[in-house]
Amino acid sequence: MNNTTTIPGIQKGYYPLKILIIILLLLGLGLFPFISGNRFYISLITEMMIYGLLAMSLDVLLGYTGALSFMHNAYLGISAYVVGLFLIHISPTSLWLACFTGIIFTSLVALPVGWVQVRTGGLAFALLTLAFGMMFHTIVWKWYGVTGGDDGLMGMPNPDISLFGWNLGNTGNPVTIYLFTLIIVTICFFLTRRIINSPFGAVLEAIRENEDRASFVGINVRMYKLLGWMLACILASIAGALFILYKGYIGPSTMSAFAGAGVLMMVLLGGLGSLWGAFVGAAMFIYIQDYISTMSEHWEIYLGLVVIFLVLFLPTGFVGLGEHLKRFRKG
Amino acid sequence: MGGSLGIIVDITLNSLVLSGVFLIVAIGLNIIYGLSRIMNMGHGALYAVGAYTGYTLVATGLNYFAALIIAPIIVGAVGLLIERTIIAPMRKRSMVYTLILTYGLMFFLDGMIKYVWGNKPCFIDLPAFLQGTISILGTQYPVFRLATLFIIAAIMGGLMLFLNKTRIGIILRASSTIPEMVSCLGINMNYVHMGAFVLGSVMAGVAGIIAGPLTTIDPLMGGEMLISSFVVIVIGGLGSLRGAVIAALLIGFVQTFAEFFITDLAMVIVYILMAIILAFMPRGILGEGKFE
Repeated sequence: MNNTTTIPGIQKGYYPLKILIIILLLLGLGLFPFISGNRFYISLITEMMIYGLLAMSLDVLLGYTGALSFMHNAYLGISAYVVGLFLIHISPTSLWLACFTGIIFTSLVALPVGWVQVRTGGLAFALLTLAFGMMFHTIVWKWYGVTGGDDGLMGMPNPDISLFGWNLGNTGNPVTIYLFTLIIVTICFFLTRRIINSPFGAVLEAIRENEDRASFVGINVRMYKLLGWMLACILASIAGALFILYKGYIGPSTMSAFAGAGVLMMVLLGGLGSLWGAFVGAAMFIYIQDYISTMSEHWEIYLGLVVIFLVLFLPTGFVGLGEHLKRFRKG
Repeated sequence: MGGSLGIIVDITLNSLVLSGVFLIVAIGLNIIYGLSRIMNMGHGALYAVGAYTGYTLVATGLNYFAALIIAPIIVGAVGLLIERTIIAPMRKRSMVYTLILTYGLMFFLDGMIKYVWGNKPCFIDLPAFLQGTISILGTQYPVFRLATLFIIAAIMGGLMLFLNKTRIGIILRASSTIPEMVSCLGINMNYVHMGAFVLGSVMAGVAGIIAGPLTTIDPLMGGEMLISSFVVIVIGGLGSLRGAVIAALLIGFVQTFAEFFITDLAMVIVYILMAIILAFMPRGILGEGKFE
């Protein structure tokens, strides 16, 4: 069994403590840019939050519906490209409309893809996510006239963030985009949590556990799987909109299979089926990547070894370590 | 180039060669999946290892045909090592984990290829008598591509004989249908799984060394082939060998013709075709798991 019995503090009745921790964490993150003026860390944490949102969306898909997507970053990419193109060509100031267009467009793309994938199901579903992901990557890469091909999308304007006529700041400012990302990601997190804890989430878990039984009870399995897929893609597209506002640039490498594996690894690092674990995983992954990529050009070998190690020895991730312990103590 | 007939003959033969390579890679994947229910994401990387090994062997002065035999054996040995170290402990776990595990394996192997052979594209030098062209119906067609077609046909014929006539082949086919019964008859299933993985790896290696002289060998070739072979086995039906034959021919022809007419977005056409087929036949053309 598991011998790592050294982590304390996992006991019943820690509910108020949990809320306190969440409030303190959000407060700390919110005040961070005012305490520390370090631009590098502000950008790094912004990136962690955006990728955390993407990893969380994949976790919804993998941890709750049991469907594996190898290239979930494709939906982040599509949304980012659409938001960027909208801001460049149509209107450089209407930020909300651009984000809205990005999310709607991504959903429209994800719907037929999901429709095909849900019908095949299981393993074929996973293999198809790879094929469709490569298709989007190829389109973005080769369609030079619109996407800028290999060079990526450049010349993004920096629109102001305004809400009900109240100007919150410019997206060119790292602190503004940091706070904006924090607010949006927090809203998305709690919204997703609410959805997952609703009867809808229970249905998804039932389908994950046993598809045949779920359909015997009268659940429309394909419909719910498609809804789960759409939820994951919409969350990814929100992350995409934030991504382009934060970076001001997007290239085809963001949509590559390599980047897709990174997202998968974030989920694995954090542990399947716990939404906040995805954020932990994303933060760890981005920090490690930032650290190692400056040291070695053979980053792929290490990525592969870490994935193999994680699956073989720590399949439930770092969050799962705690959960495992809890179950072990209950007996 | 001859007239329009020549071009058609040319494209048709190219399609057949491409289909043949797809087929060998996809059959390797299907053998592993059909017997062990493991989808090896590292298969494309093994194919690339085959091509690079072949390149090194030929570059050291070995005959191409000798390399054609030695390279797959080396890839098979790599496959055996992988199976023993990381695949075998995963046998009882959910398929999601094996998928992610072999995905990690793919990155590891790709990284190792870049580490050992570098990022530069390589070319395999062919023996002189294979370098010429031959005139068929008004087109000058490379002899080597024709030879490749015969090699592929020979390999597929050999595989069919192996699966249908030999004792080991019969055990393998029986294990794909009722593994419990086979193990009750006193056959060690561990060896069957091991054999399946090694056989699949050997197929990937064969495809690699066959495809090596046809294209440039670069680190991206594994990933591209992996996705193409996934498309083939998903369309043909997972684990179905006959389905793979049909699907490989279909995808080979569509891809070659699409590349001839619209060059850049050819793969997009292939993916759209795949989506349409799967929308109406979700289990693939021949359905799942007919291992024959």
